[in-house]
This record gives sequence, structure tokens and C-alpha cells, in this order.
Amino acid sequence: MQTETYLEEFKNEGKKPFTLRDVAWIAFVILGSFYAWTQYGGLMDQYEIGILGGTTVGLILLGRLWPSLQTLTVSVSLMVMLALWTYNSHGNVITANEEAFFLKFLLSSQSAIMWMSALFVMATATYFLALYNKSDFTYKTANFMVWAAATFGLVGMMVRWRESYIINFNYGHIPVSSLYEVFILFVVLTSLMYLFYEQRYKTRALGGFVMLVISAAVGFLLWYTFGKDAHVIQPLVPALKSYWMKIHVPANFVGYGSFSIAAMVGVAYLLTERALKKNPESSFASRMPALEAMDDLMYKVISLGFAFFTIATVLGAAWAAEAWGGYWSWDPKETWALIVWLNYAAWLHMRMSKGWRGAPMAWWAFIGLLITTFAFLGVNMFLSGLHSYGEL
Amino acid sequence: MTESKTPTSANAVPKSMKKKQPNQILNFFGSMNLAVTLLMMLSIASVIGTVLKQDESTQNYMIQFGPFWAEVFNSLGLFHVYGAAWFILVLLFLLLSTSICVTRNTPSFLKDMKQYSEKLSRAALQHQPNNTTFEGTVSLERQQEHAVALLKHKGYKTKTHIRDDGSVTVAGLKGKWNRLGYFLTHISIIVICIGALLDSNLLLKYRELTGSLEAETRTVGLDEINKNSWLGPENLSFRGSVNVADGGKTDVLFLPYEDGYLAQKLPFTIVNKQFRIKYYDTGMPKSFESDLILTAPDLDEPIVATIAVNHPLHYKNYAIFQSSFADGGTTLKLKVHPLLSPISNPLELDSAINKVEPLKTPMGKFKVEFNDFKMHNIIPATDEEKALTGHKMHNNGPTIIFKVRNDQGKAWEYENYIMPSLQEDRLFFMTGVRESQAEPFRYLFIPADANRKKDRFFKFLTLLNNPIKFMDLFTTQFPRTPDVSEKTYQLQTKLIQQLLALFRSKGFNGITEFVKSNVPEADRKQVSDYYFGQTSFALQTLYLEVLKEEGVIKTHSDEISEFDKTWFEDALNTVAGLSAYGPPMYFEVASFKQIQATGLQITKSPGKNVVFFGSAMLITGVFFLFYVRQRRVWIHIKPNAHTDLESDSTTSSSEITIAAKDNRDLPETTTEFNGLVNRVKKFNNNNNHA
Repeated sequence: MQTETYLEEFKNEGKKPFTLRDVAWIAFVILGSFYAWTQYGGLMDQYEIGILGGTTVGLILLGRLWPSLQTLTVSVSLMVMLALWTYNSHGNVITANEEAFFLKFLLSSQSAIMWMSALFVMATATYFLALYNKSDFTYKTANFMVWAAATFGLVGMMVRWRESYIINFNYGHIPVSSLYEVFILFVVLTSLMYLFYEQRYKTRALGGFVMLVISAAVGFLLWYTFGKDAHVIQPLVPALKSYWMKIHVPANFVGYGSFSIAAMVGVAYLLTERALKKNPESSFASRMPALEAMDDLMYKVISLGFAFFTIATVLGAAWAAEAWGGYWSWDPKETWALIVWLNYAAWLHMRMSKGWRGAPMAWWAFIGLLITTFAFLGVNMFLSGLHSYGEL
Repeated sequence: MTESKTPTSANAVPKSMKKKQPNQILNFFGSMNLAVTLLMMLSIASVIGTVLKQDESTQNYMIQFGPFWAEVFNSLGLFHVYGAAWFILVLLFLLLSTSICVTRNTPSFLKDMKQYSEKLSRAALQHQPNNTTFEGTVSLERQQEHAVALLKHKGYKTKTHIRDDGSVTVAGLKGKWNRLGYFLTHISIIVICIGALLDSNLLLKYRELTGSLEAETRTVGLDEINKNSWLGPENLSFRGSVNVADGGKTDVLFLPYEDGYLAQKLPFTIVNKQFRIKYYDTGMPKSFESDLILTAPDLDEPIVATIAVNHPLHYKNYAIFQSSFADGGTTLKLKVHPLLSPISNPLELDSAINKVEPLKTPMGKFKVEFNDFKMHNIIPATDEEKALTGHKMHNNGPTIIFKVRNDQGKAWEYENYIMPSLQEDRLFFMTGVRESQAEPFRYLFIPADANRKKDRFFKFLTLLNNPIKFMDLFTTQFPRTPDVSEKTYQLQTKLIQQLLALFRSKGFNGITEFVKSNVPEADRKQVSDYYFGQTSFALQTLYLEVLKEEGVIKTHSDEISEFDKTWFEDALNTVAGLSAYGPPMYFEVASFKQIQATGLQITKSPGKNVVFFGSAMLITGVFFLFYVRQRRVWIHIKPNAHTDLESDSTTSSSEITIAAKDNRDLPETTTEFNGLVNRVKKFNNNNNHA
């Protein structure tokens, strides 16, 4: 049989070679996690050590899947180390963020988050400019700005984590507990997911649209900071003191982020379709990706979001069972999570089983964002319940 | 929930379906349209449930919507959406629809997971979503071997079929777990629903329908609870709560049920040794903990454990959670000051939180219900205080919350601060009153005297309540002078007395009102100026007398301090506000001993693990569905008729048809298909030139 011969022949082709860079990446992540464990392991319970281990494996795999993430991780790590070192050399007092140059202007959580905000807004404008002038350089600039913004966002979160312990050891917690903190998580995760799909689909034309949602979130963040002093680090209420928060919240925001991207791709789809209807030679449409590609992207992003939203809701139920004594209490936030879930379940059914495509699905994805936004923000603003942690 | 994809031709219509007449009813219940409609109904019902506050008292709904709409909404079950019969019915229909869908799809999907459809005709292949036909140049045998190897390399499982005409089909199949994803997700919904049903109160509803169970709506002691409201340990699942005072114990749990509650007997006893709250420096609670001892007949040693929020105690299939806290019957020593009494005679009362005390007064019979005691009342500090102390929060100290109810049943709710608090640099004892829970408290500020007490205020008030004493005082302080006639003097003192009475009952506003309704407009200003002057004069006289009695001043003409002046103004404001204070009593807490109670939530939830098992299935299934694609490829090699197989085994001409199909229509399918076709073409070209 020649089949084996052929198989032997095929065996090595197409396989990604295991390079030095991969070895370095794996070593970097493992060493980094090990260092974190030696430094802070004493404060972790067994579940949190498990989460650290899971994060290590996950990060290694994600970095292999998407090499740009490696660069991001290294930059963030270096900047955070610099910030922590500066705090340390100033005697670990929070006022160092007013004295030390690097902290004051770049790396304290507040400065980093301001840089992030500015860069996101600038990136939005730059992406639209690029769409207008079709310049590759402008696109590259916009893309770089998003990377830089995401870097600053992550640095801001990491440093804030440390700052919460510096302010008062009892306050210390991962910065995903208040509405202010999760907004940063939201913009960072959404932008990273966008960057992934930008590379994967080799299209930058959707950048401006996705960045619109991010800029809106940044606008809210700034109002929340300057209007309501929401950036002040507060201690945790007893109900939030749990390792569950470390997995439940990020999983949720992968979902929210994906749904936002899908909605904005939907908007881009509808605009392109309209332009094409008016004029099949439309110059706007010629700059946008093909309709089928956008339709497909919408599906991909929604299925990713749906998968993570499912995980997040189940994790939430597991946490509720431990904190509130019941996995389901029909609390407004829970109920709205169910509504969001049902909405996207119906969306996916219509696409997968009934074969719906195009404009109706784009509209639906956009309406989905409105529902998601209500679940995310509206519930906190208008309805009270067990989940009222971030109030406006 | 039906997958209505274009079928893979040969197995387009399963034979079993052809034989049977499609069942109309089954089709309806298993249809996608019904499923989506049900999902939408569920969503809308859920929205209603979050917008309309659930499970509140009938009275609150009446106030909110009016009697008519409250009744309509209530009969629609909108106040208990998630337990309403129609809501359960929607869920059951969804369950039915999902079950039918799964049952109907199982045979064809199972078949689809196994079969390679290698026998499809060339014509059928050319009807697949991706297909191409081109000329091959390699011998049939090598072509076939290469095709198998290529598909295997790409992760397909293959099956080769040799036809009678000498042509060969290599069929490849991969990603059959995608179908498993379908089963997992849909069955998981059924599993989760079953789990939820296990934890629901359907059995209790049934018992209620048959008449052996009814909710207790009264707040009564354990021995007075309705016999039909008790549940034994045989109850399959429950989730209820109970407050246990420090040092107290319980083996009963209260389950909220309809408009009341049910009492659940527990197969164990829980002792609350101590409940603790720890605070951050901001005044926010940092942790709630209870030291518990659990004893049960079948336990050799009692379980001693400390529970906290997020750290419950598990015992058998029960879980005990720290869910809240309350007052556990703090003991109070009170002084009840009658506000209209002309002599100082406060009533001493020993009571405790959660007790009801009858009060007989000259103003009628009242009942006092002591509802709550709060040790700390923490509010954000003012900017000045923040600058001064560095603390962001300010503690106003303990309060008691109680209701005074008259014999018609009307109640006033009070919130009395036990310690004075600073307002604009002066110390006041705050006391809030309201007539319904819907209103905020209206506060009265009783000024503290130099000793930080209320003694001076009550002395002043008592004197103000005593017209006879006032007359004595007035006539001794300001005897009639010879230039005033006896009659004028009489009239004047009488007027002052009346003005004081008016002020006592309605404040300065009362005097303004009186002038407005009794004096012609032209004279009003003059008269009211005069009246105000006279009233102030009288009040000052009273106040000076109080100061004299206190020994602060020796005679009425002594200079008085700034503090005493401001105190007087504050006291007048307070007296003016007394008219809106409800029954004329003030409850002063002389001393208290705090007793806390821990709020425990205890559950027995046999469905929990079922639900989590279902959830795990759901997550696994979702990933299979989205990230595993079921793909089929066929490589059909048909040797051309003129080729002489015997003479030349390396190069020969054949017609190659490649077709592919994905059970989902995705752009990747075409890309991969093209890649595959190019590989086969390249193989043919390379070997041709060789």
C-alpha cells in the first residue's frame, strides 16, 4: 500500500515548526506565573492557585494561536514591573503616584487609564480617516493606537490591582468588582478581540465602527471618573469576596465584547448594503469588506460571545449557589442575562437551522447590543436586586 | 430546533419517514417557529418580572397601581411571574418542544454521524455545494492511494467504494462531534429543566390544591402557627431563612410561600454562639460571620463551624448560608416623655426589640412596637469633618426604630437617635417620623443642653404646657404698673396666654394663620407684629425662668451666653414642629444592651447537581456545535474508457470529480475545498511531468 508512503510524506508539511520563540514564550509565561506565585501565593486559596495555573496554560495556548499577544504580554509585564518597582522604591505608599515621574505621567493606574482613553478616541478618528483616505499608513497608525491603548488599559488594571493593596491591605482585590473597573475590562477585551479578527480577516475597514462602541464606553468612563469620582478604589462588600469573581466577570465580558463587535459589524453591513443598493459601484462599499465576509464575521463573533456568555452565566449560577444559597433567584441581573442568552440562542437558531442571512440578522445583532447594554448597565441604573454592586 | 439543511441527496428522506404519515400535532410542537415563539414569550415574561417588583405586599401594589389595575395584574399572576401557572406552562411547552425535536432528529442524526455516503452517484456529487471535475493523469490505483492519504492527513476518516464500472469513490468524513454538540445542547436544556423542577415548589402547590397545606400569614409564635403550615423533613427541597439570636438556637426554618410563609422542621438543631460584623475604616462592612454549632441525633459529635458570606456550611444534603443579620431582641430601658404634660412625669418602660407594649395615656390607648435597633448609622462625612479627622464616613451612633399605633390602627413610625449628632456645629438629638413606609422620615432636631442631654428641652416644654405656672411667673415678673388699668392688664395677660397656647399647638405659623383669618387686611401687619412681639416676649420669659432654675443666671435681667441664645432659637423651632410629630410622646432610650441575631439561609436542593451537570453538558455542546464542523469530501475517480490499464500503470487518463459538503454554509468550506482540489491537481501534474 502506498497510502502509508504518502502519509509519511505529508506528515511534516503544514505543521508549524516549533521555534525558539515558542520556547521563549512558554518559558516566559511559566516563569512569570511562578514569580507571581512566589510573591503572592500566600494570599491565594487553592482555587485561586488553580485559576493562576489555568491562566498560565490558557495564555501559553492563546499566545501560540495569536503571536501578537506575546508582544502585548511582554510589554504589559515590563511596564507593570516598572510601576511596581517604582512604588516599591518609594516605600509602597499610594502618594508615590504624585511624586514619581513614571507613575505620575505614565504608569499609575489613573494615568495609564487616561492614556488608554485618549488613544482609543484617537484610534476611532484615525480609523475613519483611513477609511476615507484609503491610506495604508493611516490604517497602520490607527491599528498601533489600539494596541497601545489596550496595553495601557491592561497596565492600568494590573497596577490598580496592586494599588488597592497599597492604599489599604484590607481593600486589596482584583479590579473587576465595580462598574468603573469592568468598563476598563470591557474596552480592553473588546479591542483585543477586534484586533484578533482584524488580523484574521485581513480587513481594517471595520475598525472605526468597532472603535465607536469602545469610544462610547470610554466617554462613559470619563464621565464616571470626573462626574462621580468612581475611580476611587473602594473596599469589597463581603458578597464579592470570592475567587469566583476572577472567572465569572472576565467570561461575561468576553461575551459582552463579542456582542458589541457583532452589533457594529452589523451596522457596517447595513450601511454597505444600503450604499450598494443605491449605487453598485459605490466607492464606500468598495472600501468595505464583502457583505458575505461581514455576515460570516458576525456569526463567528456571536458564537464566540454566546459560548463565553453561557460559561459566564453557569459560573454565575455556581457562585450564586455558594453566596446566596440558590443557583437561580430570578434576580433582575440574572433574569436579564437569561434574556440576552435567549436572544442570541434564537439568533443562532435562525442562522444555523433556518439559514437566515444578511440584513435581518444584522439588524438583530444591533438590537441584541441594545438588550445587552440594558443587561449590563440598565439593570444597575433602573432595577435593584442582589446584583446592585455598581450603582450610578 | 429542526435542522432543515439541504439533505445529502441519497439519505434525503429517511425511509422511516416515508412510511408514516407525518403527525400534524407532533410537527407543530416540534417546530422551530413554536420554539422561537416560546423563547420570546419567556423573554417577555422575564422582562415583566424584572420591571414589576415581585412578591411585594398587596398593599404596596394597591398604592402603586390603584385597586383596579392591582387586581387585574394580580389575577394575571404578574406579581409572581416566575411562579405563575402560565409561566410554568410556557416552560413545560418548551421542554416538550425540545424533547420532540431531539427525538425526531435522533435517528437521522445518528445515521448522519456514521455514514460516509460513499455510494453517491457522480451526478449526485455534482450537485453538492462544492464540486469540480477535471482530467487526471495518474493511474487509478495511485490516484486512489493518494486520495486516501490526503484525506487522512487532513483529519478525515475514509471509506472507499469500488463500483461495477471500475470507478472508485473515496469518501471522507470528519467532525461528527458536531452532531454530538446538537444532542448535548438540546438534552442539557431538558436536564436543567428537570433539575429546576426538582427544586421547585410544585409538590407544595399540589398539597395546597388538595387542601393539606396553607400559608401562615400572621406573625405569631411557633406554637401558634397553623397546623397546616408545617412541613416535615420529608419535604424534598426547600430554601428558607431564619434569624437566630446570639446564644439562641433553632430547628425550624421559614419558607416564603405566596402571601405568607411555611414553617419547615429541620432534622438538626443550630446554635448561634455569636454573630460578628467587621468593618473597614470607611465604615463599610467587611465581613459577616457566625459561629455555629450543629447538633443532630445521628451525629456523635456536634459540628462546630464558622460560616461567612461565600463560605457556607454543608451538612448532608443541606447547606447553611450566612445571608443577613438582624436584631436579636436588644433590651431597652426607656423613658416616655408625654409632650403635652404640664408637669415632668416621664414613664419608665423596660422592653426589648420585637416586643409590643400597650400604653394607656390621657390621649388614648396606644401600642408601641419596637421593630429594630441599629448600632451604627454611617453616613458620608462633610468636607470639613473629612479635613479635620481624615475619616470619610461619620457614625451617628445607635438608633431605635419603632411604631406607635392608636386604637384605630393608624401607625406612626419613628427613628430615634440615642446620641446627639452635630448639625451646623450644634448638637441635636434627631428623631424621625413618618406615617407610611413609602415616605422618607421627617426629622425633628431636639437641641442638646450644655450637659449634652434633653433635660432643658423637656423642662422648657413642660413649662410651656403649664398656663397656670406661666401666669404666676408672668404676674410676679411683670406686675401691673399703676398707669395700666386692671382691665387692660387682664386683657393683655389673657392675650399672651392665648398666643402661647396657639404657638404651642401650631408654632409661629399658627399665629400668622390666626391673624390672616381674624384681622382685616389693612391691619394685619401691625397686629401680627404686635402678636409676634408679645409671643416672643412670653417665650423669653419662660426660657429665662428655666435658666434661672438651672442656675445659669441669677435674675431675668442677667446677660445670657451665645450658646443659650442659639439653644433657645433651636428649641422654638423644635416646639413648632411638634404639631406634626404624631401622638404626643417622645421615647428616650436611657440605656440598652445589644443582642444581635444572625440571618441564616438553609437549603436542601437535590436539583442543584442535576442543573450543574446539565450546564456542563450545555457548555461542552456549545463548543462542539460552534468549533467542530461536520465535513464530507468525495473523490471520485473514473478511468477513461480508452486507457489501457495493463500496459501503463504510471500514467493514464481518468476523470476526477471532487465534491465537498459542510453541514454549515461557511466561507472556510470553499477555501478548504479549493486547497484540496489544488493538491490533487498538483499531484497529477507533478507525476505527469516526472
